[in-house]
Amino acid sequence: MYNVDAYIKSLTSNAVKLSKKVQDGIVENTRDLRFENQAHFLDTNEDKMREIRKNLDSKYEKEKLDGLKRLIAMISKGRDVSEFFPDVVKNVASNSLEVRKLVYIYILRYAEQEQDLALLSINTFQKDLSDKNQLIRAMALRVMSGIRVPVISPIVMLGIKKCVTDLSPYVRKIAAHAIPKCYQLDPAQKDALMDIISTMLGDNSTFTIGSVLMAFNQVCPDRLDLIHPQYRKLCKMLVDMDEWGQITAIDLLLRYSRTQFLNPIGKSTAQPASRTKKEKSVVKSFYSDDDSDVSHHSSDSESDESEEENNSVDPDLAYLLKCALPLLQSRNSQVVLSVAKLYMHLAPAEDSYKIGRPLVRLLRTHREIQYVVLNNIVAIASQRPYVFDQFYQHFFVRSTDPVFIRNLKLDILTLIATESNITFILRELQEYVKSSNKGFVTQAIEAIGHCASNIPEMAESCLGGLLKLSYSKSGSVAAQSVVAIRRLLQQRPGDSVFMITQLTKALDEITEPLARANIFWLVGQYSSQLQTVAPDVLRKAAKSFATESESSKLQILTLGGKLVALEGTTSKTVSLLFQYVLNMARYDLDYGVRDRARFLRALVYGKQKVALATIDLDSDENDHENGLQESDSTEQDAHNVDEDFAYSEKELNLSDHIKAILLSEKAAPVQENPSHGREQYKVGSMSLVLNRVVAGYEALPDWPKVQPDPSVRRLAATMEAPGYMNDRTGFGSDSAYAKSRQGQDISPAGGKGRYDGQAGAFRGAETLDKFLESSDEETSSDEEDDSEEETSDEEDTSDEDEETSEAESGSGVEDDDDEEEEEEEASSSEEEAILPTKRTNGRRG
Amino acid sequence: MIESLFVLSPTGKVIIEKHWHELIPRRVVDFFNDQVSKAMAEGEDVTREDVLPIIASPKYQLINVYRDGLTYLSPVTKEVDPMMVFEFLHRIPDIMQEYFGQVSETVIKENFVTVYQLLEEMMDDGFPLTTEPNSLKEIVPAPNILNKVITTMGATTSVSTRKMPNGMSNLPWRKAGVKYNSNEIFFDIVEEIDAIVDSTGKAVSCEAHGTIQTNSRLSGMPDLTLSFVNPRLVDDCSFHQSVRFNKWESDKVLSFVPPDGHFRLMSYRVNLPSQQNLPIQVKPSINIGANGAKFDITVSLRNTDGKAVENVVLTLPLHKSTSTLTAQCNVGQYMFDPVGKVLRWDVGKIVPRERAPVLSGSFGFGSASSEAAANAGYNIGVEFLINSHSLSGLKVDVLKLFNESYKPYKGVRTMTKAGRYQVRA
Repeated sequence: MYNVDAYIKSLTSNAVKLSKKVQDGIVENTRDLRFENQAHFLDTNEDKMREIRKNLDSKYEKEKLDGLKRLIAMISKGRDVSEFFPDVVKNVASNSLEVRKLVYIYILRYAEQEQDLALLSINTFQKDLSDKNQLIRAMALRVMSGIRVPVISPIVMLGIKKCVTDLSPYVRKIAAHAIPKCYQLDPAQKDALMDIISTMLGDNSTFTIGSVLMAFNQVCPDRLDLIHPQYRKLCKMLVDMDEWGQITAIDLLLRYSRTQFLNPIGKSTAQPASRTKKEKSVVKSFYSDDDSDVSHHSSDSESDESEEENNSVDPDLAYLLKCALPLLQSRNSQVVLSVAKLYMHLAPAEDSYKIGRPLVRLLRTHREIQYVVLNNIVAIASQRPYVFDQFYQHFFVRSTDPVFIRNLKLDILTLIATESNITFILRELQEYVKSSNKGFVTQAIEAIGHCASNIPEMAESCLGGLLKLSYSKSGSVAAQSVVAIRRLLQQRPGDSVFMITQLTKALDEITEPLARANIFWLVGQYSSQLQTVAPDVLRKAAKSFATESESSKLQILTLGGKLVALEGTTSKTVSLLFQYVLNMARYDLDYGVRDRARFLRALVYGKQKVALATIDLDSDENDHENGLQESDSTEQDAHNVDEDFAYSEKELNLSDHIKAILLSEKAAPVQENPSHGREQYKVGSMSLVLNRVVAGYEALPDWPKVQPDPSVRRLAATMEAPGYMNDRTGFGSDSAYAKSRQGQDISPAGGKGRYDGQAGAFRGAETLDKFLESSDEETSSDEEDDSEEETSDEEDTSDEDEETSEAESGSGVEDDDDEEEEEEEASSSEEEAILPTKRTNGRRG
Repeated sequence: MIESLFVLSPTGKVIIEKHWHELIPRRVVDFFNDQVSKAMAEGEDVTREDVLPIIASPKYQLINVYRDGLTYLSPVTKEVDPMMVFEFLHRIPDIMQEYFGQVSETVIKENFVTVYQLLEEMMDDGFPLTTEPNSLKEIVPAPNILNKVITTMGATTSVSTRKMPNGMSNLPWRKAGVKYNSNEIFFDIVEEIDAIVDSTGKAVSCEAHGTIQTNSRLSGMPDLTLSFVNPRLVDDCSFHQSVRFNKWESDKVLSFVPPDGHFRLMSYRVNLPSQQNLPIQVKPSINIGANGAKFDITVSLRNTDGKAVENVVLTLPLHKSTSTLTAQCNVGQYMFDPVGKVLRWDVGKIVPRERAPVLSGSFGFGSASSEAAANAGYNIGVEFLINSHSLSGLKVDVLKLFNESYKPYKGVRTMTKAGRYQVRA
């Protein structure tokens, strides 16, 4: 009942002090008797500024506080108040905690500018490092290491050394945080710091270890050999670390594993059967089963190893993956993403389905987090689309989604489309076309095109959908649909005739220049299969030539040229139509159109009309230049001309080559996905999100070709931790669950004090002798631990034996655990406090 | 590494500036403000929400979070996991909410000293340090009336360094030495329905997201086990740090030592099998002509277990060129915002087996871009709330308490709300 007493005691003492204060100072304080609103410090005028110095020198803490608050308000407003440094630093040893904290904030901000003066404060910090209170010790080290003055690095070093052996895990955590700061102050200290880190890696407190690993990553990321003996321990502790520690630990373990194990990812191009089974049992029949399609699943780019490697995951690696798995349920989205990273870069490909659901869950959080998750999903889905294909509904766009979210969702939908979900995705994409945002509509139509080219089986229905859209009343929708159709048709020549005929029917209604130009080009390109339709299109085009846009005019000219080239001059109508168009173009306002017309006239009619046309062949080049600005097809025309031209230097009879020039096969355009290339970056990195290398990005190390010695991880016995480091953050953690429960069952009445959170504080107050005594015990029992590392089941028992025999002078006998437990209970609370992890020795493993 | 933080007011002015590593000059804020206004000038329907969360500048990547009108800007120079930065930046307003009850420019200014102290403790040299509200409250006292009175009376001297709270609890998320006269714990199970419903009334996508918000007022170090009647319903979930993952994996129970005060114990997702599960149906019909459209929207209840649906609000954003609107409704009241072009219909409470609320009317387009307007699609946003109703049917079975001897008062409330609920017209 210590708590109650202490509480009451402190309350009474406070009350007494309060009443005294009230009596003493009520008169002068009445003007301040209002609820404190810190905002008034922000209204700073020059008069108030002058008061600051006076306040800081005051002997009343309230006035000091006022001065300091005003200073911090100045910092907030962006004013340089470094001139007050000498006045502030005087207060560093103040008795009031509140004053001190504000002094620290100020010192940390300006120490770099006022290095000499900052040194004045060091003495106080050194003294505080021996304070009884763990929070004061921690704070002193934090501030001292945060003062960025290189001269003091040896003092910081001493401070770290002192705190590393502190009994309080919190102080040790702060010490670990100070290590990289000290390293930045003086890189020459690296070796000494590395020694400290390697000792601290043996720390068994889940509270501390995350920060130690952070220091490791900062100071000596390459010394992976230090990790060997700790590897298994780190895996085990992963689930109990604090969330930020988990992130650091996963980063480190990922790097470590990439250098220590052979590649288990495997070349699984086909979807593993195991996944199908597992998923089916979990997913409620809502999702149609889409597991049949395997054809488009790309192989994993990283896998060089042969298939046999698939089943041979190193047991140590498998252990890490197993330990990391529960973290997918963390509320911290970076932890979830880190585990996903681990699975993407370490786990066999067939295990990657496990990360799909948790990543999709993150879509329900803040906008910014969605943005990062979606970027990563794009990268993952482009390698392993099967991870996400059943979650397609989660990527449907809402009208309230911000622009950048919409675009990413569209990308993902096209990546994960399979035969079984394409009908839903397609219907959804057609819905997006109704949006009032033009950019989004364009993207949606392009996405339909992407889907079609990704899944050839579905191309027909996609084309059907696009065709419907090309009749749309909205000009831009129609234009984009036609462009998408043109691209698709180039990839799939088989469908062309029917589709083009359909398109030409719509020609009267389509007014968008881009759409019309594309249709004319298509008709021209496939004119050999469109013998009846093509001339009619030309006729209509000739009729409307004057009102067409420039790009359409160019395409009409090309169309005419192609038709004439195809039929020779046999068809009078076509020839006449073409000549009519040429004549129209000759007087066009646009020089590009005029040039094209001259060029084609010369090309098609060759010698006979060269004179008439009054051109020289330079126009070829001219055209070439123009071509650069036009669609890819014309560019290619020009290019072909150049090549053919080279062979017929003397006899310039280009009309012989006219078919080759105008009707050559055009390479199908490659569909560029804007998110292409992200998969080369580490999952979760900034570089992946921005799709370019950001300064400081380090790629993962390559897998080793030969298996490094796996026995190094078994050498744990040589690396035992000093006793003070063995206080696992036991109660409440996963691994300690069983222990605590067991203790509870045995002695429900004694449960109260046993898990008191104050335990750590008691320990801090222990005498050195007591500490040495207990640490001796623990070290010896630890050695016992470590040597029996392999047989971990028995570890606890033996540990307990050792422990009790020493603590209870050998009263512990194997058989009567319960009795032991009671005896332990009966022992003094001090004993309890010193050995927090050993409290529940009555357990059986 | 998260080097610096600037908290910007809605107008882009610096309210709080904190550097955990080296100083980053304030110029970067000007650059950021320029980029934001440039991005927002790109199109008329681009809002602050559409600005990219990571903006690249020659020297820095400007990672920014926009929340409740405030911008939390953190310029970084080197490769860093952006998700970690976002996660941390979002923690800051979370913690401020916990401390001050609300987050706004005024609130921050009123408590700026506390905010600085918090920032100092949350981060150390660019690495997150203490982010658990329970631990933070031991180091930085939350402002409350008693503290204020004491400081005002000039009694601060009594809080000397010797009086500092000595115990850092072994559990980072739970304070040591918590004491209540009456021990209580409350669970609020709130489920939000996310759905996209197409014009035929069919759900294109539909799922329920639940959270269990907990308010724990228990003394000592209670160890709780919460079990559900039907835990298999849960499709995917995430937990507060205190929940033992392995216990969920093996037994499907939540076993935890709760933090003190408010916290989110668990979030979960439940896939809803078919549209019959939706408690409310909105039937819009919009007939668009050349210069305007006639519309009518009917709301009807389905499948609410006889419970009334409250706070029903429908919002229909109209095309930007809409100039006039006339409408009438039989229940509630409607409002047309001629600037934002949003029609908002506040239906209020709908009781089962009463006549269905209908809103009908017409709107007209301005002359300018009526063609584009005629082709636009419409989306109706739906909000509602049903008390003591769980859409998924997830039910708490029993709560057991270990490690403490008292019998706490336990309370469970359920509620179903519309989340991201959208009906296409």
